[in-house]
Amino acid sequence: MKSLRNHLAFIIPLISMLLTFVIYLFTNNVINDYKTSISKDYSIVIVTHTPLFKEKLATISGISVKRIISLKKDKILKKLKKDLSKTSISLLKSKLPFFYKIQLSDFPTSSQLKSIEKELKRNKNIKNIEIFSKNHNHIYLLLVILNKIVVILFIIILLFTVIIISKQVKIWFYENSSQITILKLHGASVLYSGSKIIRQALFSSTISFILVSAIVFFISMNMNLFIPLELQGIINTKINLSSQIINIFLLSYGISFITVMSVLITYKIEND
Amino acid sequence: MIEAKNIYLAYDENKFIIKKGSFTIKEKEFVFIGGTSGSGKSTLLKSFYGDIPLKHGSLIIDGKQVNSIVNKELRSLRKDIGIIFQDYKLINEISIEENIMIPLKINGYSNEISRNQALKLLSHVKLSHRKGFKPNELSGGEQQRVAVARALAHNPKIIIADEPTGNLDDSSAQIVWNLLKGANEQLGITVVVVTHRVPKNLGIRFKQLSIEDGIIYEVS
Repeated sequence: MKSLRNHLAFIIPLISMLLTFVIYLFTNNVINDYKTSISKDYSIVIVTHTPLFKEKLATISGISVKRIISLKKDKILKKLKKDLSKTSISLLKSKLPFFYKIQLSDFPTSSQLKSIEKELKRNKNIKNIEIFSKNHNHIYLLLVILNKIVVILFIIILLFTVIIISKQVKIWFYENSSQITILKLHGASVLYSGSKIIRQALFSSTISFILVSAIVFFISMNMNLFIPLELQGIINTKINLSSQIINIFLLSYGISFITVMSVLITYKIEND
Repeated sequence: MIEAKNIYLAYDENKFIIKKGSFTIKEKEFVFIGGTSGSGKSTLLKSFYGDIPLKHGSLIIDGKQVNSIVNKELRSLRKDIGIIFQDYKLINEISIEENIMIPLKINGYSNEISRNQALKLLSHVKLSHRKGFKPNELSGGEQQRVAVARALAHNPKIIIADEPTGNLDDSSAQIVWNLLKGANEQLGITVVVVTHRVPKNLGIRFKQLSIEDGIIYEVS
């Protein structure tokens, strides 16, 4: 019973941290997918003095330009055809600037949008710019805020988890102090003396990993219970199970390993 | 094997337990260290395996300067020593067989070799029938026999014993003395024993050191 309680003191904070990490990965995944889908519908319109080539405008403010589509002037000229002579039309055609629609590979944030506008304005070839900032997606901004909140929450829980786990490892050291002393008196290294504690930490990490993986598996199989169907049409709620499980595995064992090693090193420094 | 020159030992900076201690213990010698309670016998023994640092002087064990020893060398020194404690210092969570395997595993022997050696020693100390028992399931005398077996397991150069028979009845004590005598005579292991009661009729030549008021004397 006491041993189970000891393991729970290690497992519960680790599970909380892993679940927060899973939520972070999920929201991040949703944002990236949503960003890709809305970036297809978003474009910037620019008017230039001379023709524009993609090679000369490969990236804007760190975002690569996916495509530059030339907008045809014919529609404008067609409307004016009735009122102007042929000579005037051909003169106008030669005087009209060039119109382009720029598609970006990523959906820009509001601040990126501002810097894109600034950068384009610096280009002397560009006469006019329309970035359609009013159409900038509000759902996307909400998702970004949500993701930032989850990141902050994850960092806070991570810190508390490390503190609680290291306290538990210290308790294990205290409980096994006589065994550690006996082993050290026989010439064992700190790593060898603390091997029982390392095994206990590994066991707790394995339990946490299995439980969190099972929860993620259950959620991925029953997504309808957690995300309304209407929302599933807007955002991609699919969970990449294998990559999620690999991430949970790495974080679960990584945090346990780092914490146990830090306590072992501190113990070594204090006792040598 | 052990050479002490003007050694000073103290837990408290100003209160020396051993003062200006000088002595030599040769290879394969059987040595008793005697003295009254609190005279510093156990403290002197602790300095042999680096559990208490020297305040002054020089202590050389098996060619290693104990006073200037660093962590890795200390581990190597301890690997060459078999230690027997008055309170046995056995691990109660594991079987006596596994307890005997400890020094072997620390010295890098495989599980199979360690287990075979442990079984051999258990038979030597007449505890084969109890190999799966935990130490706290045995009597004091049996536990001390396990401790002797553990000290002998990795064939050390020196065996250091702190009051090995202090908690035992006469017949159990006799078994322990016979085991230590055998280790010295048959295996050529140097044996250093702290005791306030030197056994009669041990049947081997031994040297005796005594500590009085922090000074170490050679008795015979």
